[in-house]
Amino acid sequence: MKKVNALILTGFGLNCDNETAHVFELAGAKSHRVHINALVSGKIALKDFHILAFGGGFSWGDDHGAGVIQALKLKNHIGKDLLDFVDQGKLMIGICNGFQALVNLGLLPGLNKDYTKRSVSITFNDCGNFRDQWVHLAANNQSPCVFTKGMDTADYPVRHGEGKFIADQKVIDTLLANHQVVFQYADAQGVPAKGEFPLNPNGSLEDIAGICDPSGKIFGLMPHPEAYNHFTNHPDWTRQTQLLRREGKTLGQEMTIGVKLFKNGVDYIKESFF
Amino acid sequence: MICCIEIALKKELRDAEASSLIKKAASYFGINIQEARCINIVTIESDFDHGQLGRVKDEIFTNPVTQVSSLTPLDIDFHWCIWVGFRPGVKDNPGSTAMEAIKDHLGKTFGPDEGIYTSKRYCLKGDTLVREDVEKLASELLSNSIIQQFKVFSMDEWDKKIGADVKPAKVILDHTPCFEVISIDSDEQLAKISDERNLALNPRDIPVIREYFLDPDVMASRKKAGLSKPTDVELEYISQARSDHCNHNTFQGIFRYTDASNNEQVVENSLFKTYIQEPTLKLKDQKEWVVSVLWDNAGVGRFDAENNYVVTGETHNSPSNMEAYGGAITGIVGVYRDPMGTGLGSKLFMGSFGYCVGDINYNGPLRPPLHPRRLLDGVIEGVKDGGNKSGVPTTFGQTLFNPGYMGKSLVFVTALGIMPNQVKGKPSHEKKTSPGELIIMSGGRVGKDGIHGVTASSESYSENTPAGHVQIGDPYTQKKMHDFLLICRDEGLIPFITDNGGGGLSSSVGESAMISNGCVVWLDKVPLKYEGLDMWEIWISESQERMTIAVKPEDLDRFMELSAEHEVESTVIGEYTDTGKLHIKYKDETCAYVDMDLLDKGFPSWEFDAVWLSPETRGLTEPVISSPSDFNSLLLSMLERPNISSKEWIIRQYDHEVQGGSVIKPLVGVNHNIPSDASVTRPVLTSQKGLAFSQSILPWYSKIDAYHMMTCTIDEAVRRLIAVGGNFEHIGGLDNFCWPNIQFDPKKNPDGKFKAAQLVRACRALKEACEKYEIPLLSGKDSMYVDGHLEGEFGERIKVSALETVQFSGTSVIEDISKCVSMEPKVSGDLVYVLGTTANELGASEYYEAFDEIGLNIPHVDFNKFKVVYRAMQSAIENELVASCHAVARGGLGVHLSYLTLAGGMGLEVNLSDLPMDVSRGGLLNETLLFSESAGRFIVTIAPENKSIFEKLFKGMAANCIGMVTKDHDHLKIFGFDSETLVDLTTTQLDKAFNKTFGDMI
Repeated sequence: MKKVNALILTGFGLNCDNETAHVFELAGAKSHRVHINALVSGKIALKDFHILAFGGGFSWGDDHGAGVIQALKLKNHIGKDLLDFVDQGKLMIGICNGFQALVNLGLLPGLNKDYTKRSVSITFNDCGNFRDQWVHLAANNQSPCVFTKGMDTADYPVRHGEGKFIADQKVIDTLLANHQVVFQYADAQGVPAKGEFPLNPNGSLEDIAGICDPSGKIFGLMPHPEAYNHFTNHPDWTRQTQLLRREGKTLGQEMTIGVKLFKNGVDYIKESFF
Repeated sequence: MICCIEIALKKELRDAEASSLIKKAASYFGINIQEARCINIVTIESDFDHGQLGRVKDEIFTNPVTQVSSLTPLDIDFHWCIWVGFRPGVKDNPGSTAMEAIKDHLGKTFGPDEGIYTSKRYCLKGDTLVREDVEKLASELLSNSIIQQFKVFSMDEWDKKIGADVKPAKVILDHTPCFEVISIDSDEQLAKISDERNLALNPRDIPVIREYFLDPDVMASRKKAGLSKPTDVELEYISQARSDHCNHNTFQGIFRYTDASNNEQVVENSLFKTYIQEPTLKLKDQKEWVVSVLWDNAGVGRFDAENNYVVTGETHNSPSNMEAYGGAITGIVGVYRDPMGTGLGSKLFMGSFGYCVGDINYNGPLRPPLHPRRLLDGVIEGVKDGGNKSGVPTTFGQTLFNPGYMGKSLVFVTALGIMPNQVKGKPSHEKKTSPGELIIMSGGRVGKDGIHGVTASSESYSENTPAGHVQIGDPYTQKKMHDFLLICRDEGLIPFITDNGGGGLSSSVGESAMISNGCVVWLDKVPLKYEGLDMWEIWISESQERMTIAVKPEDLDRFMELSAEHEVESTVIGEYTDTGKLHIKYKDETCAYVDMDLLDKGFPSWEFDAVWLSPETRGLTEPVISSPSDFNSLLLSMLERPNISSKEWIIRQYDHEVQGGSVIKPLVGVNHNIPSDASVTRPVLTSQKGLAFSQSILPWYSKIDAYHMMTCTIDEAVRRLIAVGGNFEHIGGLDNFCWPNIQFDPKKNPDGKFKAAQLVRACRALKEACEKYEIPLLSGKDSMYVDGHLEGEFGERIKVSALETVQFSGTSVIEDISKCVSMEPKVSGDLVYVLGTTANELGASEYYEAFDEIGLNIPHVDFNKFKVVYRAMQSAIENELVASCHAVARGGLGVHLSYLTLAGGMGLEVNLSDLPMDVSRGGLLNETLLFSESAGRFIVTIAPENKSIFEKLFKGMAANCIGMVTKDHDHLKIFGFDSETLVDLTTTQLDKAFNKTFGDMI
């Protein structure tokens, strides 16, 4: 049977490649961890894959803005391949540092089909520091994003120092109007955080945690769905387990909402390409 | 041409760094800044034309959405401007990545005289700011003179065209490399040279060294190599190898231990052999899961049928005390190289921290090199950047405060790795060097950093003098190397690997060449950060992010190909031989030629007198304090104490989830803010198994007896593991000793004999605990001399010593992570049990400390009794009888019941009179029951339907139901003797107290 091939970038300080590869496998894809230089040298060709994942980490140490040098390097060497990949209707996902790289490449938000323009930015958290915490997310069910199909809410961890989403009000309005805002930081009931810390951990405008391009095939988000690859990743799993046990049930039989996100992508490829 | 690019956030955007500066200026110094903006400066020295500079500025360094930039100083208003830049030779990580980016972007290489340097300036506005304030901020908040320089400008002093006038911080050493021949005509002469050159040779070693070099056979053999008297390269090699850091002379030393109460004397020939090696080797035979101990960079235990885990720990105290950020980041990045250099190399999967610092609100007369508050800020940030940027989760950590740590603060860092147990069909924990294999150095380059401070102290400063021995770790370079080396390992290209830590190449090559029995090293091949280093400097520099690897000649091409793809610098610097000689050359000249077995030449052991004075002999007694009448206020004030209160702000700065294997997090409970007993991680994502990890540090007990300090510390670490679901049959240990100077000197160290006796007793306790609890010591380290001589009010210097401190870490493999338990009560109506007895053991407790008392009744550990309970607890957890489990620790039941209430977000009602009690050490009162720190105790909650089976399991043990998780209120209600209400506090009150001290820190 044909496999969905997912390419996960590695190298230069990226660091979530192993778990991202793992979660794609759980979602039914074949994962390939590929060093950025293997794409640059042409040893490996982007066109052989269906999904490109820009994962988390600290590419080039995030020294000159998170994801900046990564974006520049990819644009310089495989810029055309990336645009061809988009043209073919394949999927891209950028998580944390990968999201930062996508907006610096201009692949997001991709307004007016311009996939090279930097029109939004992800900058330093308002709290002034790196922060690791789990967040509640409200998903926009009108969004074209293929990864979040059928999702209303999700809990994932954020782990970043630069996660505050900003843009001109006009751009923000367009994103909202186009339903390109995929995830917003929210409270436990799924009501947007309205900037309240720590529900909104970084001060993102409109509580934006993730956006997609107008086609819904390029998706970037600050939280880490790949870090919710097993039910024991959730901070409340021991309590949920105990409560279920009292009802004679057990936790962990269902796919986590983390894996689900990747499975949506893999399923989309299967439906559209096979 | 030198050009500066200035970059700042657009004015309308929030400048988080500036906001933090404003906040700290106010809270640390009471200095009021109204507005601040930060400007990043990239100084480029190159032959770029204006067009290229413009491209670099716009396309690399400026984010069009958020930033403004200029090739001339940005015109930003200020009353005062502070510029801060690195001193020459200090690792400038953003400068290096900027070079990488420009090389790639413009397709241009940098010549030897070209480079990029980063710095910052801060534009401050404030009507009341005066120069003195601004200089204080510059020197005490924004820069550290050891690694940085600053300039302060008023409005009048600022030239809008020249700006901060930043010069490249480059190192220029106008020096032709050479080596020197050292005279050894007499012991006195060599001793004098040792002093002058900062060789730190032990006086007892000097005759042995002379004897070797004067041996006629040695002289004849050296003559053939063109050498006569020893060279500085050779003496530096011996000095490094014989240092306490590399050779553990203290733990290998001879201790004459006298108990002053009966004058009985015992001679201890080697604490290491007797108390660490012997029990560990015995346990290795008994425990089939122990794979490799006592020789490699880290210990190895079995994780599952295919994988082994690797663990080690380290301290980085002295550097962190001088430059907190640099010391700490170098510490964590450094300890991460140990698992990378264990066996054939392991992949890092978690790390942890332990900080012991002085009072961060100290305002007395003593002047430590860095104020404890600033030191803690820097240390936290160093481990943050080092750990997070390494892509390794920091899953556990503790922070302690005690005035003794103002003399020297402690920074513990621990690293765990995972590796397949076989590589190409061979056991991965074995490694060796063989003649003919090439010696390769991978990673960073060598500079003057990390050389024993000689250069910094003996040369006068010029603007191009490198900045001494303090280093800045570079996790980015190391992460690239880590990824690259794992691929080499899996391809079977690495027969041997080790890291370059203390001693640099001298240590890594020197030790690895002992296996093949010889080597030749070509020092001129070693890549340098800048020209002009002498041979001995190249040989011993501790410049970071380097590994030494043996590669077979036939594998070299593939190794180098992978190295190039990963953009890691690798260089062949020599060859392993079997000549029996360490042969070092520089170009055609030989600069060292000594026998590989030189270090076995009968160097004498260090010797110590140890005199034990029991607590009673020292006059310690229990204090006289009557029972308090207001237990509510008392408990709240206990929760506010720095060692008890929330340190969430530190833990949140560390990525504890990267790699996707988090099972039990460092913070737990409904609000995810209560410190967990231990962390559990899945290092292999496809496995149901997990690795539990815990640590304990209980230095306060050393005030009474370091023996009990050690037993209590180990007991707590073990109990923490059991509490989350750990396996008592598989507990690995890691001992990190930090001890004040134990060498007696009537003037300089009058209590040295007592501190030596404390060390002997701690080691005895270590052995007993390990034997009783069956803990092989997978790894361990010692750091001696945790003392400081602090300048006082009148120019005097006062010695401040840290408490005798041990951080003990425990590892345990959990078969099925879905059985893991967290500490918070989960269901109202559940029963609350306390296991283990509470005795009158308030000695050195948090409670007594609150009244500035020490006391005498230190907690005792009854290993045989406790381990029966621990095994039963393991069984209770495996059989899913337990809803929550928590190990009672510092602060006693009062504090830990409060933690439980907060973690569960539900009320608790408990009755102290139902506790299992032990009156053998004196009568028990309400305050004893609440605050005694008796070891061996858990608090557990269970579903009521499990009552009978649970009680059956613990039959005959101290296990009593003391109350329940309430259904109708969220109070912590504690009833004392006679069933009167002793404590009645809401979760809100408890939370407020718990977060009062550090709650506003982020």
